Amino acid sequence: MHFLLATTGSEEMAKSIKAIALGVGAGLGTIGPGVGVGYIFGKVIEAITRQPEMRDEITSIQWLGFALTEAIVFYAFIFGLIAFFLG
Amino acid sequence: MSTRVKVLLAGALLLAVMIALFAITGSHGMNTEYQPQNEFKLEDWIAIHAGSVNLSINKAVLYLLLACGLTASTMIYVARRMHERPNKVQTAVEVLWGVMRDNIAGPNNIERQMALRWFPFIGALFLFILYSNILGYLPLPVNSGETFRLFGVNIPAFQIYAATANISVTLVLALMVWVSYHAVGVRRKGLIPYLKSWLPAGMDSVPARAFMVPFVFSIEVISHFVRIISLSVRLFANMLAGHLLILFMGGGLVVLVGVAALGPLTLVVATLFFIFEVVLIAGLQAFIFATLTAIYLGGAVAESH
Repeated sequence: MHFLLATTGSEEMAKSIKAIALGVGAGLGTIGPGVGVGYIFGKVIEAITRQPEMRDEITSIQWLGFALTEAIVFYAFIFGLIAFFLG
Repeated sequence: MSTRVKVLLAGALLLAVMIALFAITGSHGMNTEYQPQNEFKLEDWIAIHAGSVNLSINKAVLYLLLACGLTASTMIYVARRMHERPNKVQTAVEVLWGVMRDNIAGPNNIERQMALRWFPFIGALFLFILYSNILGYLPLPVNSGETFRLFGVNIPAFQIYAATANISVTLVLALMVWVSYHAVGVRRKGLIPYLKSWLPAGMDSVPARAFMVPFVFSIEVISHFVRIISLSVRLFANMLAGHLLILFMGGGLVVLVGVAALGPLTLVVATLFFIFEVVLIAGLQAFIFATLTAIYLGGAVAESH
């Protein structure tokens, strides 16, 4: 807050608010996928310990799920960056 | 010496190097000259303008051509010199082919007959995206905005850039997939039955049919359009975010903030992230794109979903 008050120009002010927004947005965006990735790997471990003979099939689905979930982190990050640098 | 002691020693050494660097160089304050977004700016190298359409040759076009050429030439080269007893390269390509046949265009995603007909398309998509992703992690002298002199010649600075880190490229790939799976569905079933097949099975017996059917149908229409966005943005965002993080960690942040002492720490992060991207993300994103293509194509001709 002190940093915000110290900046005098409105452009500087806008830039610092944007930087905070980028940080908060990208940070919040990692929560959901974090839970999701943990859930996927947890379930995979559960499934493989129950049915070890299904391992190959489960592993290929696991990577599909992992990549689909992990991409969501970058949605938040990229749109934040686009807003920061180009907006 | 146990692993924990080694890790602690390495951390302490890193910290000591950082503190020493800070003592020597200090802080230069925020750098306002350096614009990180210029790393991704596309400058026209050979200007070609057709009316208002810009068809110039730029960095992204070069990467596309490189990926096309490398995909075609390496695969044709390997295919031409097939041996009874495969060497290492042929074995690697055969493993890749096995992944494409059994996992990407496997019987879980797409029916056998369709898989055989569409295998060239799906396989080419997979290999092309894989090649352009991996090319994206090789530093090439393409940054024409920034040059250095070597033996009296101005050489563009080395940088990493990928064709797939550009939304236009991934959008075209996604649109290609989108149009072709709808075309296949319409050709197999006819227009009206194909549109009807979007509805989930058992919609005939739900209560308040006259209201529910249009409602569910409009949701399905939206979901089909969202597929374009999700397919293109997933690949684009993954590649761009990877490149941006490598750029910032591998020196961009140090230059922006003007504190050289941050360097050792960010370099470690950059190296780890680089390995993560090359080993996992580059292949995985190509795999996902091709797998989803196969699933969409398979879903368009499946009896009901």
